[in-house]
Amino acid sequence: MFLCCAVCWMKALPSLATETSPVFENDIAPILVNKCGKCHSDKVQKGSLNLSSMRGLRTGGESGESVVAESVDDSLLWIMIDGGGMPPEGQPPLSNDEQQLIRNWLKAGARSNESLEPDEKTLTQHDVLPIVLLRCTACHGARLKKGGVDLRTPALMRMGGKNGPAMIPGDPDASLMMQRIDSEACPPRDLLLKFFVKRPPASEVKILREWIAAGAPEVDIPPDVATTEPDPLVTDEDRQHWAFQPPQAASGISSLDGFILAKLQERGLTFSPEADRDALIRRTYLNLIGMPPGLTDWQKWKENPDSDWHRQLVDELLASPHYGERWGRYWLDLAGYADSEGGVSAYPVRQVAWKYRDYVIRSFNEDTPYNRFLLEQIAGDELLDHENADVVTEEMVNNLIATGFLRMGIDQTGSRTMNFVRKRIGVISDAITVLGEGLMGLTMGCARCHSHKYDPIPHRDYYRFKAILQGAFDEHDWLTFKNRTLDVDVPERRERVAAVNPPLAAEVKSLQAELKAALVASQLELLRQHYPEQSEADRTETLRALKIADNNRTLTQRNLVEKLQRADVIPDPEQPESVRQARQTVLDIEKKIAHFERQMEPPLTIRAVWDRGEPSPTYILRRGEHNKPGPLVGPGVPSVLTDGRTPFTVEPPFPDGTHRTGRRLAFASWLTQPDHPLTARVMVNRIWYHHFGTGLVKTLENFGTKGERPSHPELLDWLAVTFVERGWSIKELHRVMMNSQTYRQSSHITPERQLLDPQNRLLSRMPLRRMDAEALRDSLLAVSGRLDDRAGGPPDTISVDRDGLVSVDPTPDGRWRRSIYVQYRRTEIPSMMDTFDYPEMGPNCLSRSVSTVSPQSLMMMNNEHVHQLAAHFAKRVETLLKEDGSTDEPDRKVDMVYQLALSRWPSDLERQIGVDALKELQTVWQNRPHSALETYCHSLLNSGAFLYID
Amino acid sequence: MHRSRLQNSRRDFFARTSDGLLGAALTHLLCDDYFGGTSALAAKHEPVNAAPVYNLKPKPTHHPAKATSVIQLFMNGGPSQMDLFDPKPELTRLDGKPFPGNVEEIGNSDAEDIGVMMGGRYRFARHGESGMWMADILPYTSQMADDICLINSMWTDHPNHDNALYKIHSGRLFMGYPTLGAWTVYGLGSENQDLPAYVVLNDPLGPPKNGTRNWTAGFLPPLYQGTRFRPTGSPILNLKPQYEQPSEVTESARSLLNRLDEIHRKDRPYYPELDARIESYSLAARMQLSAGEALDLSRESQHTHAMYGVGDELTDSFGRRCLLARRLVERGVRFVQIFLEEQPWDSHADLEANHRGACLRTDKPVAGLLQDLKQRGLLDSTLVIWGGEFGRTPTTQASANGFSGRDHNMQAFTSWMAGGGIKGGTSYGQTDDFGHSVVENPVSVHDFHATILHLLGLHHQELFFERSGLEERLTGFEPPRVVHEIVS
Repeated sequence: MFLCCAVCWMKALPSLATETSPVFENDIAPILVNKCGKCHSDKVQKGSLNLSSMRGLRTGGESGESVVAESVDDSLLWIMIDGGGMPPEGQPPLSNDEQQLIRNWLKAGARSNESLEPDEKTLTQHDVLPIVLLRCTACHGARLKKGGVDLRTPALMRMGGKNGPAMIPGDPDASLMMQRIDSEACPPRDLLLKFFVKRPPASEVKILREWIAAGAPEVDIPPDVATTEPDPLVTDEDRQHWAFQPPQAASGISSLDGFILAKLQERGLTFSPEADRDALIRRTYLNLIGMPPGLTDWQKWKENPDSDWHRQLVDELLASPHYGERWGRYWLDLAGYADSEGGVSAYPVRQVAWKYRDYVIRSFNEDTPYNRFLLEQIAGDELLDHENADVVTEEMVNNLIATGFLRMGIDQTGSRTMNFVRKRIGVISDAITVLGEGLMGLTMGCARCHSHKYDPIPHRDYYRFKAILQGAFDEHDWLTFKNRTLDVDVPERRERVAAVNPPLAAEVKSLQAELKAALVASQLELLRQHYPEQSEADRTETLRALKIADNNRTLTQRNLVEKLQRADVIPDPEQPESVRQARQTVLDIEKKIAHFERQMEPPLTIRAVWDRGEPSPTYILRRGEHNKPGPLVGPGVPSVLTDGRTPFTVEPPFPDGTHRTGRRLAFASWLTQPDHPLTARVMVNRIWYHHFGTGLVKTLENFGTKGERPSHPELLDWLAVTFVERGWSIKELHRVMMNSQTYRQSSHITPERQLLDPQNRLLSRMPLRRMDAEALRDSLLAVSGRLDDRAGGPPDTISVDRDGLVSVDPTPDGRWRRSIYVQYRRTEIPSMMDTFDYPEMGPNCLSRSVSTVSPQSLMMMNNEHVHQLAAHFAKRVETLLKEDGSTDEPDRKVDMVYQLALSRWPSDLERQIGVDALKELQTVWQNRPHSALETYCHSLLNSGAFLYID
Repeated sequence: MHRSRLQNSRRDFFARTSDGLLGAALTHLLCDDYFGGTSALAAKHEPVNAAPVYNLKPKPTHHPAKATSVIQLFMNGGPSQMDLFDPKPELTRLDGKPFPGNVEEIGNSDAEDIGVMMGGRYRFARHGESGMWMADILPYTSQMADDICLINSMWTDHPNHDNALYKIHSGRLFMGYPTLGAWTVYGLGSENQDLPAYVVLNDPLGPPKNGTRNWTAGFLPPLYQGTRFRPTGSPILNLKPQYEQPSEVTESARSLLNRLDEIHRKDRPYYPELDARIESYSLAARMQLSAGEALDLSRESQHTHAMYGVGDELTDSFGRRCLLARRLVERGVRFVQIFLEEQPWDSHADLEANHRGACLRTDKPVAGLLQDLKQRGLLDSTLVIWGGEFGRTPTTQASANGFSGRDHNMQAFTSWMAGGGIKGGTSYGQTDDFGHSVVENPVSVHDFHATILHLLGLHHQELFFERSGLEERLTGFEPPRVVHEIVS
């Protein structure tokens, strides 16, 4: 810790200085220029540090502390040198003599020829405003002006409110704002938690007082933004890293195979043979729509005589509505989609998050150009002025729903005690992570507290980036959960909702009252049955105690409740008839409620992000701490991705309409420039990963200097350029990748390929892949004929049993929709999804892990739902055989099972094993052929052949 | 006929795995759950650049370990330090008087319903040769005083249950980070490959506050997360079939699956995840047997049952979990966490009766566990941790029942440890006259975790996981302090 300020350090100096001690200009500056000047000079100031002058040393770097202190060991300069941290690896080190000289110089008081008088730090409005924003503007700012007072600028402070000026320059004692702070009337004690404000510590009060005493001086410091002057913090050398240069591609190339083949041939390899047709059909289906082909589809493609049958198959699947359900899911992982807020245990459900989910699916299905897709999600509110529109259009609604993208992160600020500025900044930082890692392949998180250690992302750039979001995500003007939604929709839907919903809502309301009564009745019945000796008064008291928070109950109440719980955990089959009946009544009412709710039109509500036109100033936060403000910055993008000489231009999008800053729109436009070095590269790499199992750049989230270099750099660039040239069409990208020999290769590994390409980085074959959670569950449903393929709308509910098993509730006709339509509450992920690596969204997930653990085997073998699906599968086999007029021969059954589950015929050996197994199973099932077939089907669904994709 | 043939083939399969190339491969993977895109076998061919393989095999320690397993007795809700372990005569003297200081500093964000000073509610006495202070509502635990080390100077960062729970379990205030148990099995693996490495024993009445987040693997691979042994029904989710089926059918189906998987695997050389998958089915089967045996308390003597209070209405539930914990560590399980339903220690109201109630349920089983571990020679290698997520305030708090309980206090609380290299009979750290905040030898949650890792032979700095290019640690960024003073 370097708490010594320059002032006290200087006072101690003269007595220490001696005639012979080294002097900065003569002895030290040459060393620093020579050994440190490459990064810390007038022109280049890594970490905002300039070591070329004594002033620079005293100013220090971005931590805002002088690098020379009272003692050697407290001097950051020496700490960095002595600890071996500087100069960094790979740069010429300081010699022992040089180190000794610097040490002696520091020891002797760091003498310099420059005047020893330090700059008297004068307080300005920028020392005061961050304090006022933290402590005062919740009541005296943009939203509330209590007492008519707004404290957001010095002018407004002077103006004050109905009791006169809040601040009188030069006279803190007479300034109302100081009086109220000193007497602790402000911030008012009873409102601290309501507005999530903490009292200013003495140090802050002192700054306020001194600033007013000094006459409330103001300086006109413009926010730090990119200008036409070269950026001293990021050099052109920094920009040389491959990923920071625009992609370049040779023209006239029509297929990616040449790139792959060239590398293979370098190692004496060539492509693997083409996969057999069945394998290729199954691979293509699972890859594009996440489910295996139906029986007739499989037959159709198997028999297609055309040489370009696979190309036709790809086209057909890209046109399927199921395509968006598969590929939209990957995007939802990137966005960190969840149907609940998260962060704390009692987190609210996001009632209409599904509208964003449906937007994503729709966008993929319609092949919305990727640049447009990004524009809508980042700045949909700044594209069209819905507030000033005569009629709200579908496009406006669509754009607003798209902005839900930036509202997907974990958000604990809805909690009664978690809505402090620090937590809000955490939410903003999650959004920056999603934008940085997800869209730009840049890990920006480190720069929140200090300049990035490896990548040229200064601390400053993080806060410029934060300023882009400030118009919508303002930690000093934070929207509560209740008021961050908009009720905007087209007139037709408005009318429909008004006509349909009120009568249904009335039904639900009266049923809910019934439900409450039924619950009480069932609890009373439990007590009566299990504790007949208990007095009726105690029973009533138990129900009363249930309404008291568990930690506010008396011991008597706790004991009563515990009795009820002990009776309640006894499973249904062991409960008396009357209890079971009472419980059934409850379930019946719940069903009725669900029945009415299903008929209701979805609400008009949209979870949106919108610019509110009045962003607070953005200050760099030293060490990322919310109460350590540094210099003022304006909006901007990472300097390393620009030429460092171009200002970031922001213009309000609706000059005559709703006031919006246009900052996110400017960012989105910059991000989707055709020659952006990262946007297209990062996206094609992601699509590649989902087709081929590994990214060309393995680290999908990190294209920076610590990320892995691409295995095929020219291919990556060619794909990126092609992607942009073909109108940012994602479907075109699928075609480019899938209509290739590379994609059609077999996944079989020969010893030679294993030896020469052990990690498959050369793509000498297609990798064998395990189905992910969605593909597995959806395939089980499809194969067993229990898939309800209705799309969109509110998510399907889940149930948690007493043992913690989370299962998806079936639709009224006993089917289930695709996994993307299930409700994803952060702590209640359906057990099957969870077991097969559905990820923790923290804040999002760019690549899922693939584990092979025994709970998966247990789930597949023993879970009742899987077992029931196997029974349905068996029934389906029997029905199809009957329709076919086939006999009941076991080999026909085996053939049908293989065609449905694996989209192929069994081999002779497999058929024989199947026939033998059916016979044996029939014996152990004591002549129940149907049960035998069920068990056989269950085994097939458990097999590696089903779970893995060749 | 057919049946025997299928069974033979199954036997064949297992027989073949014990020798030859297949045997070598499977032996290598035996008992391992498998994770990742490449595998142990691929790693053999190309050690450089291979994706890391995660498993639960025993791992070398960083330095010699004092403890090889941990039982964490988690006291949900925040037990009161000044009523149980940290007597404060000065506080008792001021009973009923206003707090002599700024009430806003008491600890919770909300200063409104703060009442007056409340003296310790029970009588204290010194116990054991060490003369350790404990209250009279802990008649059994106090008999083990000379094996226990009280840490009276614990403090944490948040006065809310949610966040303080995340903190005490994972070192962070928010959800999504791996817990102490997850880090432990990530670092050390397990001695028993037929049982989960990290077991959680829940209260049959319901989950603790924060539910499964108390034993999550966070960003670590999921095989390091705690496995909850369910208090009723089958102990592991899906451990037994949830449907009716004759056992011969299960046998038949299993051998059919083995044959099919064997064919599938043989046609696809160099995909070791397929071996791992076959193994995961066999581990599932073994687990079914082992878990049943480990959980069978009827194998314990009447005397042992009595020692834990099993069979007595008040102590039966907690006693069973303590006894089960001993059986698990005895079998090589690395980390066992025991929870109470919701938060019984959270006595905002009626503290005197509520804490007494909580002690009546837990005191005897806890002491029974220590005593039993000791007599079996297991206490030296088993670290037992007792404590909650924070402590309680010296002042009362308004509630429906008047001013009769205490609010949360993040500035000071007591946890204790025993066994596993801990200096018994020690009382470490000091709080102020009211037990309100720490004045000497503070122990942060990070220090607490670093000390536990140290006892397990792990160094907190060397135990890390790389995520997005960053090294993540249980103990965070600032270096913590191992409390060497309490290590024997």
